[in-house]
Amino acid sequence: MKKNMSKALALSAAVLMMFGLFGCGPVSQSTAQSNQTTSSQSAATETQKAAETQVATGPDISERVDLQFMMIGDGAKDMDRIVGMVNEKIAPKINATIKWNYTTFTDAMQKYNLALSSGQNLDLIYTAPFLNYFSLSKSGAFHALDDLLPEYAPDLYEFVPEGYWKAVKVNGKIYTVPCTYKQYLVGGFIYRKDLQEKFNLPVPDSIENIEAYFLGVKQNMPEQLLTNEFPMAGIYQFNFSAIGVLDMYHDWANTAIYGLAARYSEPDKLFDYWASDEFVEEMKLMKRWADLGFWSRSALSSVEDMSAMQNGKTIGRLFGGTVNTVSEYNAATAEAHPDWKFDIALYSDNSGIVYPTHPIQDGIGIPIASKHPDRAVMFAQELLLDQEINQWTSYGIKGEHYDVDADGWYVPLQDPTVSGFSREGMLCWAWRNPDYMLFPKEDAYRIEMYEKFEKVAGVNYIGGFQEDYSAYQTERAALGTVVTQYLQPLHAGLVDDVEQAVATFLEQAKLAGLETIQQQYSQQWLDYIKSLQ
Amino acid sequence: MTGFLAWLSRKRFQQRYLTYYLMLLPTITFFIIFNYIPMSGIYYAFTRFSYTGGLFGSPFVGLDNFKYLFKSGILLRITRNTVLYNIAFIFFSHLLQIIFAIMISRITGRLFKRLTQSMLLFPYFVSFVILRVLVYNLFNYEIGLVNATLAELGASPYDFYNKASFWPFIIVFFYLWKNVGYGTVIYLAAITGIDTELYESASIDGAGAVKQIFYITVPLLKPTFVTLFLFSLGSILKGQFELFYQLIGSNGNLFTLTDIIDTYVFRSLTFDFDIGRSAAAGVYQSIFGFLLIMSVNGIIKRKAPEYALF
Repeated sequence: MKKNMSKALALSAAVLMMFGLFGCGPVSQSTAQSNQTTSSQSAATETQKAAETQVATGPDISERVDLQFMMIGDGAKDMDRIVGMVNEKIAPKINATIKWNYTTFTDAMQKYNLALSSGQNLDLIYTAPFLNYFSLSKSGAFHALDDLLPEYAPDLYEFVPEGYWKAVKVNGKIYTVPCTYKQYLVGGFIYRKDLQEKFNLPVPDSIENIEAYFLGVKQNMPEQLLTNEFPMAGIYQFNFSAIGVLDMYHDWANTAIYGLAARYSEPDKLFDYWASDEFVEEMKLMKRWADLGFWSRSALSSVEDMSAMQNGKTIGRLFGGTVNTVSEYNAATAEAHPDWKFDIALYSDNSGIVYPTHPIQDGIGIPIASKHPDRAVMFAQELLLDQEINQWTSYGIKGEHYDVDADGWYVPLQDPTVSGFSREGMLCWAWRNPDYMLFPKEDAYRIEMYEKFEKVAGVNYIGGFQEDYSAYQTERAALGTVVTQYLQPLHAGLVDDVEQAVATFLEQAKLAGLETIQQQYSQQWLDYIKSLQ
Repeated sequence: MTGFLAWLSRKRFQQRYLTYYLMLLPTITFFIIFNYIPMSGIYYAFTRFSYTGGLFGSPFVGLDNFKYLFKSGILLRITRNTVLYNIAFIFFSHLLQIIFAIMISRITGRLFKRLTQSMLLFPYFVSFVILRVLVYNLFNYEIGLVNATLAELGASPYDFYNKASFWPFIIVFFYLWKNVGYGTVIYLAAITGIDTELYESASIDGAGAVKQIFYITVPLLKPTFVTLFLFSLGSILKGQFELFYQLIGSNGNLFTLTDIIDTYVFRSLTFDFDIGRSAAAGVYQSIFGFLLIMSVNGIIKRKAPEYALF
């Protein structure tokens, strides 16, 4: 008996051991296989599809599927209920359910990248240039939609103008469903109009007047913090928020990445901004403002505080403010501080450059790991074109979360801080449908401004430019750290001697391989501009 | 396979080792799954990652991914910073941990003993994000506590966030503040394991508290110390990423003295999400750590074989 027991034990030990040793082998193999199948599938889709369409009249939806939609950011409180309603409505049409997954904003970028690279089971995902839409598409992170759209979502394919489809193509293929809502993210200096009028200061519409505004407020309210400018990591041309103000001077068609800028009037002529006197002068301005205490001397280690100005902690914002921000701030403080009045002095009034966001701005892509790209496209169509679904997922339930007044304005029915579904509470940037959109009354100003912009707007050159840095990726990575170490303190004006700091920066950048990068980038940019003409 | 099963069912094996092997099994399984299988990921360092290809389908690019580490000549500086910081961390933390452990073991009041221990351990649970806020509010130029105190005393404020020189001290201090309590617990456990008879006979022979510490406690802590020391050596190139990242952020003015391999790699790779290059940096750190631990262990094996790890 005892012998048998130990024999059994020994055997089970051996079996367990085998699992321990090889347990993961088959699993990883099968994932590799499924990877292979998906890639070969997508390669074979064309032929397969041709066959399918001949046999069946409509798309095959006999199998019930659960779709996963990943968004970055935070969802809304009453979302589950609304998603339930959506599921009820789509079930008979496409025989699928949808589930939204939100990442929260913390480390959203890493989570986004990991979700795509780990092969997590996702069917729809938000796409944007700041989330590396171009490079991800190139490395095969999304399903190509060129064949899927006309077959499974013909109405959607029709709805989005052809120019949009053309504009989002990467290597000749469509990888995202672009949002067709046109926006003008024209930057400006956000200030407190009430303070400016109270202390009799000039409207801050130029460098001199911004300076006068800051100094005037500081004189009258010595304890008041002026700004909360902060460092920005991971961007080559833009390392400290305060340099947003330089857009006043910069009539550029691109963003001077790697120091190469092109004037809007002649986009095919790049010049080296970092090596120019213009650059040195502008960095001297930043130093003067830093020395005047317009932002903290510890600003390089501070973090962005999105609500600083709304809370009255600061009274000026040099970067990232648009007419949308003004509407937002005024709406948010209307109740608690009726005497506060936010306004914007547009940088474009000085530079003369206005262009709309590029179609690529917001979109819905289908991760390569999705096993049901057909159904995902069908859902995208419902989400965008079904008015009820679109408005539920944008504004919540009419009569509970919001209402529409006689003039057609959106009216929130719940306090925005505790609301179960505030306006665009599910962060519906990717599925905004201009025909179904509702705006609050405070937006009248913004809408009016947009109409003004539309009249003067030009081409958005930079938005559609797809840089391919695979040839100089090594140099680029090296330059990235040089930029953070040497260019960022310059941008923040926190250096002892500007001219010397510029020289050091350029020297280090050269060591990192700036010349190689500039050469290759120029070539690509010029080819791109030529392709537009 | 049959040979293996036959070997397993041999009586002598069953009598002597089977239970031990069974007890070891979970550990072996754990290491295989979490330490050995992931090692295949090293291969990423030699490929240009593509989403469709995955691990073994991506194109092989040889040593291309390692190039950027050498490109700007920065490798020497960040390796130096990393190693020096880790030496400071290891030296001071073990020193303080041993001192605190001995001191706590000598406390006789139960309540006071527990209180001290808890207070020492508490900072270990403070998250790095909180630490960042704390440090920022201490050293901020305009509103920081340190500069406010300096102003009260009539001194001029110090520009901490633009001058690197103080940061090595600040970083080492906060590392110790956070970690000493935790290590103290380990040493305290080792001290508790020391036979009390040793102390009794020592006091009969007339040895006072100081002599007891230096002739009994410290020598008997040596094996614990050597083991912990060797463990920490293995990760000498991996430095406390959260600590540096949270305290310094992306403040270029402080990088000369505060940039370590982890933060440098993080920074150069957040520009583009590049799996191959991050893996390359990881491989560099691991190989360096591996060589270091092998050679130090080799030296110890020659000088004092009983303390060697393997």
